[in-house]
Amino acid sequence: MAAKNSVVDQGLIRDLAGILNETDLTEIEIEQGELRIRVSRAGTPMMAAPQAYAVTPAPAAAPVAAAPPVSPATSVNAVPSPMVGTAYLCPAPGEPPFIEMGSKVKEGQTILIIEAMKTMNQIAAPRSGTITAIIFEDGQPVEYGQPLVVIE
Amino acid sequence: MFHKILIANRGEIALRVLRACRELGIPTVAVHSTADADAMHVRLADESVCIGPPASRDSYLNIHQIVAACEITGADAIHPGYGFLSENAKFADILEAHKITFIGPTADHIRIMGDKIEAKRTAKRLGIPVVPGSEGGVSDEAEAAKICAKIGYPVIIKATAGGGGRGMKVANNEGELYLALTTARSEASAAFGNAEVYIEKYLQKPRHIEVQVMGDGMGKAVHLGERDCSLQRRHQKVWEEANSPALNAEERDKIGMICANAIAGLGYRGAGTIEFLYENGEFYFIEMNTRLQVEHTITEAITGIDLVHEQIRIASGGGLSVTQADIKFTGHAIECRINAEDPRTFVPSPGKITHYHTPGGLGIRIDSGVYAGYKIPPYYDSMVGKLIVHGRTRVECMMRLRRALDEFVIDGIKTTLPLFRDLVGNADIANGDYDIHWLEKYLAAKDVEEGLAKG
Repeated sequence: MAAKNSVVDQGLIRDLAGILNETDLTEIEIEQGELRIRVSRAGTPMMAAPQAYAVTPAPAAAPVAAAPPVSPATSVNAVPSPMVGTAYLCPAPGEPPFIEMGSKVKEGQTILIIEAMKTMNQIAAPRSGTITAIIFEDGQPVEYGQPLVVIE
Repeated sequence: MFHKILIANRGEIALRVLRACRELGIPTVAVHSTADADAMHVRLADESVCIGPPASRDSYLNIHQIVAACEITGADAIHPGYGFLSENAKFADILEAHKITFIGPTADHIRIMGDKIEAKRTAKRLGIPVVPGSEGGVSDEAEAAKICAKIGYPVIIKATAGGGGRGMKVANNEGELYLALTTARSEASAAFGNAEVYIEKYLQKPRHIEVQVMGDGMGKAVHLGERDCSLQRRHQKVWEEANSPALNAEERDKIGMICANAIAGLGYRGAGTIEFLYENGEFYFIEMNTRLQVEHTITEAITGIDLVHEQIRIASGGGLSVTQADIKFTGHAIECRINAEDPRTFVPSPGKITHYHTPGGLGIRIDSGVYAGYKIPPYYDSMVGKLIVHGRTRVECMMRLRRALDEFVIDGIKTTLPLFRDLVGNADIANGDYDIHWLEKYLAAKDVEEGLAKG
């Protein structure tokens, strides 16, 4: 019975979805006997962007300060830690940091230090760009693969 | 005692060590590769650190990453488990330099036992029986005959520079010696550019029997009886028993005390295993493993002593918790190593475990890191888990094992469970009548039989 229903439902839903697009409505609800189907556009009323772009974060739309839904840690532009150790932003205590939010960096430029086995390892920028997020605290232990900064 | 122990391993042994730490109230740090982020030892540890990509050399064998993981977590000791860095003397040295305790023997003892020639020489010096043979190379036929008469036939002639079975010839009596010697010499010369050969007593149907020892590093040591690991395939142990069905209490006590005294004399620290070939009532030293072994569980079953607790205690300077007189052997235990492999072809079968049900009841122990929904990664060894069964007698143990194997369900991948269901019903196994060649011969005969059946 469940299988039969699902076949009927699929066709019906497709029809309704078609109508939804045609008419540019946000929601249609129908009732047939015991069956009730509601078709609506996902989430918030984003009528302005019917085709969602697969490209990563919101480019100009949102102000830079608020980067809320896309966590910088999951950004494709995040730089992962190549090793386990303690990450530092400054070359030595009291000295200015290698990078800040908005810093322009060149490929190969030192962006932070990871201390492991009493050795200070300079971590180079894997590409040129702008630092849009720093995802660790100065002096924080980090593990292999942990995102450290985002370079856009 | 330690503040925090880092477990430098994965899979069931990482979990095994974690359990001991928990019981001792010591916080744990799991390290893992990116492929093991969902592993059970990572989930259960107090802290975890990802130390590298899937390949072992970049993660579980990466000394720098592991030491760095100690530094960022404040772990003051490392348990290496088995495999990976457990018998790496350089690792033990580095840890010492960093004031991190290696839960295991000294780097020097690892080094000695890791070198075949040095290990045999040390064993002999400590009174451990070794395979009799010529002291060095033999070139003269008369000299060879004299040595062979002394050690007894059959003998095997091996190339000093050799390996891989080339330059090896067996002589069953003095009549065969001349031909064997000249053939081995010419083969050795052709294969290795060095005609030098040496002679050893040839064991035809030996059993693999190993003695578990524990030393406090200060001259005290005990033995915890032996394990019979004769059922092997390609030098991989498949089924282990404690005690051995081949030894009586007197023989057990004799070889056990030889090993305990040797280990005490060496000043050895921690757990170790002295492996022997055993034939016609005689033991012949093969090697010593300076770590916890996979099959330590069956020794635990018959002695009631937690070997990992003991390792941690010794490493922290607390010495042995038992004397030789405290150690009693109760009943019989068998361990089956269940691998993610085809039970006939032994081709590895990684993948997702869809359904997992373990046997239970009296005398059953399962050491495994897998669970329903777990994906066995293709990067590491194929062991899914160990089934350890204990009974008051060997017969009770076998009956219980048969029952437990029937209860065990692992779906989604191929496992060697069917092999064990077959072995537990075999008459030779039931009689304890097997040697190190038995399993391979049995499997080969089965292949032929099934091949004929198909034709």
